[in-house]
Amino acid sequence: MFFRMVRGTFRRQWKKMLMVALTVALGASIATAMLNVMLDVGDKINEELKTYGSNITVTPKSEAVISSLYDVEGEEANAEYIAEDKAGEILLIFWANNITDFSPETRASVTVNGTEAPLVGTWFNHRLAFKKKGTDYQRDTGIINLRSWWDIKEGEWLNEQALSGDGYAMVGEALAEAAGISAGDSVTVKNGGKTETLTVVGIYESGDDEDGYIYTTLPVAQRLTGSEGYFQKMEVSAITSPEDELAVKAAKNPSLLSGDEYDLWYCTAYVSSICFQIQEAIPEASAEAVRQIADSEGKILEKTQLLMSLITLLSLLGATLGISNLVTSAVMERSQELALLKAVGAKNAQVTFLVLSEIMLTSIGGALVGYLLGYAFAQIIGRTVFGASVEMSGMAAFLVAVLIIAVTLVGSIPAIRTLLRLRPSEVLHGGR
Amino acid sequence: MNKKRRMFIRMVVASLVRRRSRMIVALLAVVVGATILSGLVMIYYDVPRQMSAQFRSYGANIIFTPEGDAAISDEALKAGAAVFPAEGLQGYTPYRYENTKIHNMPVTLAGIDFASVLTTSPYWLIQGELPAADGQTLVGAKLAGELGLKVGDQVSAVNSFEVTADTDTSGIPAYEIYTDPETGETFCDHELSLTVAGILETGGSEEEYLYVTLPDIASLTRSERGYDVVEVSVAAMQEDLQNYVGRICDTVPGLSARLVKRVTASESTVLTKLQSLVFIVTAVVLVLTMICVATTMTAVIAERRKEIGLRKALGADEASIVGEFMSEGLLLGGVGGILGSVLGYIFAQVISMNVFSSSITFRPLLVPLTIAASVLVTGLSCLIPIRSAVEVDPALVLKGE
Repeated sequence: MFFRMVRGTFRRQWKKMLMVALTVALGASIATAMLNVMLDVGDKINEELKTYGSNITVTPKSEAVISSLYDVEGEEANAEYIAEDKAGEILLIFWANNITDFSPETRASVTVNGTEAPLVGTWFNHRLAFKKKGTDYQRDTGIINLRSWWDIKEGEWLNEQALSGDGYAMVGEALAEAAGISAGDSVTVKNGGKTETLTVVGIYESGDDEDGYIYTTLPVAQRLTGSEGYFQKMEVSAITSPEDELAVKAAKNPSLLSGDEYDLWYCTAYVSSICFQIQEAIPEASAEAVRQIADSEGKILEKTQLLMSLITLLSLLGATLGISNLVTSAVMERSQELALLKAVGAKNAQVTFLVLSEIMLTSIGGALVGYLLGYAFAQIIGRTVFGASVEMSGMAAFLVAVLIIAVTLVGSIPAIRTLLRLRPSEVLHGGR
Repeated sequence: MNKKRRMFIRMVVASLVRRRSRMIVALLAVVVGATILSGLVMIYYDVPRQMSAQFRSYGANIIFTPEGDAAISDEALKAGAAVFPAEGLQGYTPYRYENTKIHNMPVTLAGIDFASVLTTSPYWLIQGELPAADGQTLVGAKLAGELGLKVGDQVSAVNSFEVTADTDTSGIPAYEIYTDPETGETFCDHELSLTVAGILETGGSEEEYLYVTLPDIASLTRSERGYDVVEVSVAAMQEDLQNYVGRICDTVPGLSARLVKRVTASESTVLTKLQSLVFIVTAVVLVLTMICVATTMTAVIAERRKEIGLRKALGADEASIVGEFMSEGLLLGGVGGILGSVLGYIFAQVISMNVFSSSITFRPLLVPLTIAASVLVTGLSCLIPIRSAVEVDPALVLKGE
């Protein structure tokens, strides 16, 4: 009997029920889209902020204690350098997936065609092979991504993978002007007694001191400085979480943290914990946060997330009011029907249950459609703004479900109670 | 005619008053829609300005360098800074670099104005305090490590220079001045004793310098020669920055201005993304909200099919029924729009205060826009159910089918 009545309602009043379902679907889609975008916006903006370049620098420990005191076996340890094969070790740390780019470099003061200039040897788009848990991986990394603000004035980026051999270089605009170099030229680079002949692939404008530099591949700089297999410094760009109290406390000295705090800190992508893990992976190095980048990232991220959460709150509020509004009016409309049910002897609980189940069924149907719609909207937002899909979180789905059920209940129960309090005879007579 | 109009007004008003609860439902829907519209659009327009100020935490985005060999004079600096609008200029810090020796180790000394340095380098992390008076110094963390300095320690910087007739030697003890017996030239190893007020951590090359006040560096070197570099932090869009830089290079003699590309180029990339994010979010939410308002209005009007049938049965013509119901809807739309613009402004203000702790710019143009949009949406959403009700045979409607 109950099911027949419910089915009857849907058959006879399908238009009204469809209207309720449509509104719920719209509300649910706003909620789904906004919650998912909000939960993912931190990661997305963080990736965008990577255009500012590296936020961690890795340098050899100033007093290379390990090598000078304990005389590490075999290798001629040099306090100024880190072994090149150690560079890949940073991909083995806990937060390895957060490391977007890194690039080791070796510097030298050289003369380029007779003009004095600093030379930097580094990776441009180096393909690095590494082993993790017995599986072989490959990864492309280098300064092409770490210097996104460079303007290539002439020629093109040095593409390590496409060019054979390593006799290539890129020259800063100021140096190119001073030494009369243009793209395609061959230049002679001298450091002390060592000489290399390099082909200039491109001229860049960086807007800072690097305009006076010459950039080349790492092996060239290693040969010029006589430090084959080593580098001096490494820039690392990592996606980090904004700093909070715990991070500030840990930055001073991680060993002062309690056990739980330490675990929480170690397993959060704070810039300080990533630095700490890099030092664990490469013991002879010291990793430091570049405060200009790391600090500001945190601030921008925090503001963006706060802005998005407040906009989300506003739209959730709107969606909620819209839904509860319509649900209330949908229930109120049925005053005569409810009065009739009561007049023929239905108990209050039975009537409430009947109306609630109908409304709930409608809402849930609408919410399912709305979730799919919201998914589509979230993807549209992700694709158009960030060119990447927005990750759908289980939490958003859960929140939307709770929200819709709560809103439907809040919208319908007071209305049902009001109707039940009225006397059936009055309602049926048309007094209301 | 006059009577008819009075009847019309009475009917509209009576229906709004009598059916209070239903009208509140409809009005609420319109108000919520209008609030979201005006609030979000206001935020959308204010985001670039507000975020741009946040991006200043990356520090200086313009640097002044001297044109030619002479240092930057105070006048040139003032003239350069005057080019920027006062509300956009966050601050500027002049730097003067000198080479000195501490315990015979060469150290770069930077003279700066400590009062303004945090406006151009907000990311500086200082253990201890910023120097508040002459005779105090801020030591870069790397340098402090090499020299073994702690907050509160004393350190002496020594600067050697040739003493000529122009040199002001007042306050220089006699033992610091000596004459080269071979050339007969007089030199001075002037010593400046400094108290370490703070240790500076940045993770960059700043950690290798010793920072002192500008008067200290002038007294140490016995010369007032202006500044080597001036860092400027300006909250503005990239095109505006480019204009300012061009204007400074053209109009201020002795000053060459440059954009710090790393900061400005990256900022415009991220800001464009952010603005398009808010834009598309606003667009999606607005479309959905407007549809939501429309369905609510449609439902409210659809309920009144019986009333429409009754009027028709009593002999009202279709045009007058449509006109009456529409004006009711439009009135709702108008009132909802007005309330919504006020609420939307309050919402935008609350968000702006919470996120950026600064107030939002009120845009008067948004008020008529919001009202027009809500009138349009309510009007359109009323039209469909009214038309369908009018077209139906009154007998059928009144019978309840």
